[in-house]
Amino acid sequence: MLDARSPLASAYSFEAKDIAIREEGGFTLTQVAGFGKGFEKSLAEAVGKLPARIGVAQANDAFTVLRIAPQQFWCVGEAAPAGLSGECLITPLSSGRCRIRVEGAHARRTLARGSAIDFDRSAFKPGQFVMTGIHHTPVLIHCVDAEVFHVYAMRTFALAVWEWLVDAAEGLVAGN
Amino acid sequence: MTAFRRLPGGGRIDRSRTLGFTFDGQRLFGRPGDTLASALLANGKLLVGRSFKYHRPRGFLSAGIEEPNGLFTIGEGNRAEPNIPGTMVPLSDGLVARSQNAWPSPAFDLMAVNSIAAPILGAGFYYKTFIGPFRKSWMFYEPFIRKAAGMGKADAAPDGARYDVEYGFTDVLVIGSGPAGLAAALTAGRAGAKVLLAEQDSELGGSLLAETSEALERWRTDTLAELRSLPRVTLLTRATAQGIYDGNQVTVAQHVAQGQLLHVIRARSIVHAAGSLERPLVFSNNDRPGVMLSSAVRSYLNRHAVAPAERAVLATNNDAAYSTAFALAEAGVAVTIAEERMAPAGDLLAQAAALGIAIFPNAGIADTFGGSQLKAVRLKGRHSVTIDCDVLAVSGGWNPAVHLSSHGGIKPKYDPAIAAFVPGGFAETHFGAGGTIGHFGWQACVRDGETAGKGALAACGIGKSPRAIDPPGVRDDRAYGIAVSRDPFDVSLPGKAFVDFQHDVTAKDIKVAHQEGFHSVEHLKRYTTLGMATDQGKTSNVNAIAMMAGLRGIGPEAAGTTTFRPPFSPLTVGALAGRSVGKHFRPVRRSPLHDWHARNGCTFIEAGLWMRAWYYDWAGPTPETAYVREMELVRKGVGIADVSTLGKIDVQGPDAAEFLNRVYVNGFAKLPVGKARYGVMLNDDGIVLDDGTTSRISDTQFYMTTTTAQAGEVMSWLEYLLQCHWTDLKVHVASLTDEWGGMAVSGPDSRKALELAFPEADVSNEGLPYMGVKDIPFGGTTVRLMRLSFSGELAYEVHCPANFTIALWEHILQAAAPLGIRPYGLEALASLRIEKGHVAGLELDHRNSLDDLGLGKMAAREKPYIGKELRFREAMQAPDRWSLVGLEALEPGKKLRGASILFAADDEIKGHGRGYITSVTWSTELNRFIALGLYQGGLRHEGEEIIAAFPLKNEQVRLRIVSPHFIDKEGTRLHA
Repeated sequence: MLDARSPLASAYSFEAKDIAIREEGGFTLTQVAGFGKGFEKSLAEAVGKLPARIGVAQANDAFTVLRIAPQQFWCVGEAAPAGLSGECLITPLSSGRCRIRVEGAHARRTLARGSAIDFDRSAFKPGQFVMTGIHHTPVLIHCVDAEVFHVYAMRTFALAVWEWLVDAAEGLVAGN
Repeated sequence: MTAFRRLPGGGRIDRSRTLGFTFDGQRLFGRPGDTLASALLANGKLLVGRSFKYHRPRGFLSAGIEEPNGLFTIGEGNRAEPNIPGTMVPLSDGLVARSQNAWPSPAFDLMAVNSIAAPILGAGFYYKTFIGPFRKSWMFYEPFIRKAAGMGKADAAPDGARYDVEYGFTDVLVIGSGPAGLAAALTAGRAGAKVLLAEQDSELGGSLLAETSEALERWRTDTLAELRSLPRVTLLTRATAQGIYDGNQVTVAQHVAQGQLLHVIRARSIVHAAGSLERPLVFSNNDRPGVMLSSAVRSYLNRHAVAPAERAVLATNNDAAYSTAFALAEAGVAVTIAEERMAPAGDLLAQAAALGIAIFPNAGIADTFGGSQLKAVRLKGRHSVTIDCDVLAVSGGWNPAVHLSSHGGIKPKYDPAIAAFVPGGFAETHFGAGGTIGHFGWQACVRDGETAGKGALAACGIGKSPRAIDPPGVRDDRAYGIAVSRDPFDVSLPGKAFVDFQHDVTAKDIKVAHQEGFHSVEHLKRYTTLGMATDQGKTSNVNAIAMMAGLRGIGPEAAGTTTFRPPFSPLTVGALAGRSVGKHFRPVRRSPLHDWHARNGCTFIEAGLWMRAWYYDWAGPTPETAYVREMELVRKGVGIADVSTLGKIDVQGPDAAEFLNRVYVNGFAKLPVGKARYGVMLNDDGIVLDDGTTSRISDTQFYMTTTTAQAGEVMSWLEYLLQCHWTDLKVHVASLTDEWGGMAVSGPDSRKALELAFPEADVSNEGLPYMGVKDIPFGGTTVRLMRLSFSGELAYEVHCPANFTIALWEHILQAAAPLGIRPYGLEALASLRIEKGHVAGLELDHRNSLDDLGLGKMAAREKPYIGKELRFREAMQAPDRWSLVGLEALEPGKKLRGASILFAADDEIKGHGRGYITSVTWSTELNRFIALGLYQGGLRHEGEEIIAAFPLKNEQVRLRIVSPHFIDKEGTRLHA
């Protein structure tokens, strides 16, 4: 078996008062796309209920499903969805994204120092996600809980995004 | 005898603590609640700097952000920041302040010799004097002029402060925390709106902070207490709104613990409550230390408990300044009022009389006396008396702070009732309140704020009606009486009468500008430099406009204002850059194999955002030596290179083949499953966009690779085509550049290497022929083998999900170790492809056609493809287009350099030449420098001798034009 290696293998988790940043690996990310309602039906049978609109994540038993674009979904779970029909166009992306967990009372302000998104509790609630940018690179930010966020960063930029987030958190901790 | 003293009681300072600070190396003390300015005054430091041009002694004019004179360099070493108004610096323990533009000190400044030459240093002096006698004279004079005149100096060392940027969103942004701002914020906050209030001062309250009324202070503290209790209200101090942009984006720069934080705010509605700025009076020698704005004297007195020592004169043309006189008198200062108006209001006269204040109506100031400190003033008019004094407080009226409301392009308009400019209007979701719109009374400000707050709520769609704001328990507002003298200023009077204190622009300069035809306020500004520099004319503009209007015989409303632009106050560039400096200047992109390279003797090179493996130390200590050995390894044995940076795109769907057939110039519709094909795509203008190989994985799935440089552009192009042009095609595309890592296994022994690495897979010539593709299961994942060659040798690309790339790379290195396999880097990779004549990003310069690159014959004749029509337009078929050629150096001892300009043998070596070298390398096979280039007429000149010139080093090398395919033209090696 080939050993898997994260691009954040050399990065250390950051923990300080009111903020923690660490990698949360061990997930399988599968992009499923298609045309018409047929593929959505097949996908729903495999992963459970689908979110109604873009920007909302649907947490089912084995999968969290994110509608990322018209006729495109991300399915995040321990394994890839099984039993999908031929109508589903499947693109594995588990290696292509790193998941960074940003947690704590400073989490929203940490993210606001990288991304021009309204992270206020009233505007960005658990279960919502946005596709935006941090440090000039595309990221998907999923609000998992009130003070817990998953930042899906592109693998090749993951360390740069990580360092940016940690630096932002350090600034907050220092009172800047 | 000092001009100021600290009062034994009163003020907002904390008398239980002492703060130590230094000014020009002298240890001084102040109190929490002091600003640097108030602490210096309390220490008797009236003279704090020298003026910009004439090096005249200067003291504080104001107590706020408009301060033109009292600028300091604050901090030490790499934390030193120049040109900071001492009025805006809260005193802190250990603070270090240095004066500027004075040597050796403000008290004894050798550059004051400039004053001797003052008569010839008027407006336009530089433009007229230093333009000659030679064409480049200005370049000679400029360093001396800049040294003699100027402000603080920025340190050349990297800035030690920390700068952050934070994005914020709010329903209502309130700018200013005076009574209007607080009332607006409370109104909006009570209705449940999300409110952000930005205050530039270190305390909240604005003009209320300079008052001693218990009722006003109670109103302020009660309002703040309620605001602080509202969870959706945020109050920022030391936070200056610097600019307002489209879409209600506002930048607010806030001083924080270790530097500054730039808030980039999107507000649904904005309340402008920035207040107003008092303007000075213009008279002879109005710049002596001790001449201060009336509001500043009141602020230092009431807020900081710093009062003139014994005697003060107040010169005014309006009622508002009387409160300063009354406060001074109540503090035991002897006060005389020089009233420019003939008849001040009766109630003011009565109150003044009760406090023993002498009033000289129809007076004003003729001149002042003193050196480094004001000693006396002489009144003008009938009462031409000279009065000894410590301080002269002046008030020429109030200017609403119209700067921010003008950023959107709405010009201010003149309001004769207050003799000042007010906002010319507000954008739809903006509201003004209080001093900003020319309303100066406490009650009016609170009413305005409440109204603006309600307007902001409505603009946000918040229908809830908040509870009314309780007005402050003070008497009703009295009218703001002001009468501006329309007498033209007599420039023949002795001494200089300053209009712009910071740039030493006098009333006489304005007259000179008028005489020379610079009548427009914009021309006046450029000719005299009035209104420039760090204060941007906050105290000078309106006086100057009024003077120019008077000289032109028009009203100020006709003269208009100059254009207000961000930032509102000086903003260090670091605050704009934020954390995008140094390590974070731009994101670094790392290959999945990056960590392995870093551990195994690799030297990296930046290629765009990528950090790419350049060469390895096993091959040599320098790139010049290493890449040659790495090339030899590939030509004679087997090497492995990281090609993960190639763009990789998943193309899926029932119409994927048809889609690619339209995108590429050559056919892809019938590409068999398990085969790859080299393809070129054009932009719709017929120019080459990119090339690469695309493999067919199944009937409905393709695996496209692009050049590293064009990966993003190609992905965007494909999405654009599918979403905008061919919406009928059932195709999805997804970037796999991050998902898949790749490595090239190249060289005559590469097949043997794969056989050792993947013994279960058939990689024979039959099992995996040239341009063959197969996916194999290996090590718990999928490995994609593609027989492709970039080097011209027998070669393969091995791709796999990026998580496993390092493990797979190490496995191949270990399995093929008996063959002597080693890694090779980008330098060798590029050199190998030059020998083979493969074009890459350097040749694809977004100007060339298929035919320019010698690829015209691969385009399909029958099928349509993007760019086909425009590819054949006349200019694209011209015979003298710059086209791809191979180049061989003919002079063995000379180095051939990339980007050299190409000339025909008998051309004069001058200008742009006939082409240029795109890629160059030392050829290990040919034992000479070879290159690819674009040359006018291309291979029609094959065999000709030409010249490559590199003007930067004055080098020329003779070359011969040859085929770009330097090795293995028949393709024997890669088909082996």
